[in-house]
Amino acid sequence: MTTRPDDDDDDVMAAEYVLGVTDLAARQAAEARARRDPAFAARIAAWEARFAPLNDAIAEAPAPDLMPRIEARLFPIQPARRAPWAWLRGLGPGLVVLGLVAWFMLAPARPELTATLVPQNGGPTWLALLSGQDLVISRMAGRGPGEGRDFELWIIRGDAAPVSLGVMPATGMHLTVTDVTPGTVLAVSLEPKGGSPTGQPTGPILALGPLQKT
Amino acid sequence: MSGDPISALLQDVARQDRAAFRALYVAAGAKLMGTALRILQDRHEAEDAVQEVMTRVWLKAGAFDPARGAGPDPGMGWLVALMRNHAIDRIRARAPLSDDEAAIALAPDPAPRAEAQVIASAQARRIGDCLDRLEPDRAQAVRGAYLDGLSYADLAQRHGVPLNTMRTWLRRSLLRLRECMET
Repeated sequence: MTTRPDDDDDDVMAAEYVLGVTDLAARQAAEARARRDPAFAARIAAWEARFAPLNDAIAEAPAPDLMPRIEARLFPIQPARRAPWAWLRGLGPGLVVLGLVAWFMLAPARPELTATLVPQNGGPTWLALLSGQDLVISRMAGRGPGEGRDFELWIIRGDAAPVSLGVMPATGMHLTVTDVTPGTVLAVSLEPKGGSPTGQPTGPILALGPLQKT
Repeated sequence: MSGDPISALLQDVARQDRAAFRALYVAAGAKLMGTALRILQDRHEAEDAVQEVMTRVWLKAGAFDPARGAGPDPGMGWLVALMRNHAIDRIRARAPLSDDEAAIALAPDPAPRAEAQVIASAQARRIGDCLDRLEPDRAQAVRGAYLDGLSYADLAQRHGVPLNTMRTWLRRSLLRLRECMET
């Protein structure tokens, strides 16, 4: 390998990222650069490969069965933990309203709060239902995120900055949220694959709306 | 890749195979938990972190390329890299510890960890040999960063040197490691 000083600087930066010694801002800057600079991404991959044998020194630890939680989050209609309103996902927006009315009349436990996330910037429409700490959000109409991009869900409490609730599968997800009151806003943004690199929305806001009492 | 079950499972997961996703957790969950726990030092947070990483694995498995990975088990290497990066992001995002807490958390190990001497596989011998050619405290700093997720500030405190000295140490050590591993 040629070792011009600039190369060494880049290589040390990549190694520092892989080791994890820098602060969060420098880590996020390195990740952002790796996304747009394949040569830098290759330096990171090379350092990961150099250090990977040290992984043998990491002892395994008993892991509880987290799969039910993981699957409930990823697959809102997973039969093992099917949300009572999950069937609404399959319906078109017009039928959803009808379905919701029927569901409110029949459901044994109704959601306390709902939100319709209104499209901005030509984005999709989302419906969110909160029951206790269980939030189900489903895409009702509109397109998926497209190649190389992900939807990310945000919660905005009062005047506070948006807090990420995570990258969302294209059809929606089921997750647990706390500290939600009527008026708390949910928003969906379009982000690079894997989610916002900064911890705040970086792409366009596709839809948003407040949670309201049913 | 027939001898590498994790890579095979990851490729199935990339095709949205939920059974493979479960099998992957059975095969790799304990390693992920060990990695998270070692860096985060908190079981509850480690479980959250593993859950987050498994979610990303489902969403990102298509980005895994076994041909670009190194060693006999590139799949596990990819998973551990995701886990380390996420766990390190979490500790870097934490509020700084008070001085007392930091003193407890960063007290030097009473004895060098066993793995510093014993690195089992032949694969590992190369980086092990190259680390052994560094001054012992510098090799220990590199291991502490990689395995325990220590920051420059943590390492400076643990080794009792100024922050800038630690930066210089580590940067030189990294270039020497690269040179050693390329020859």
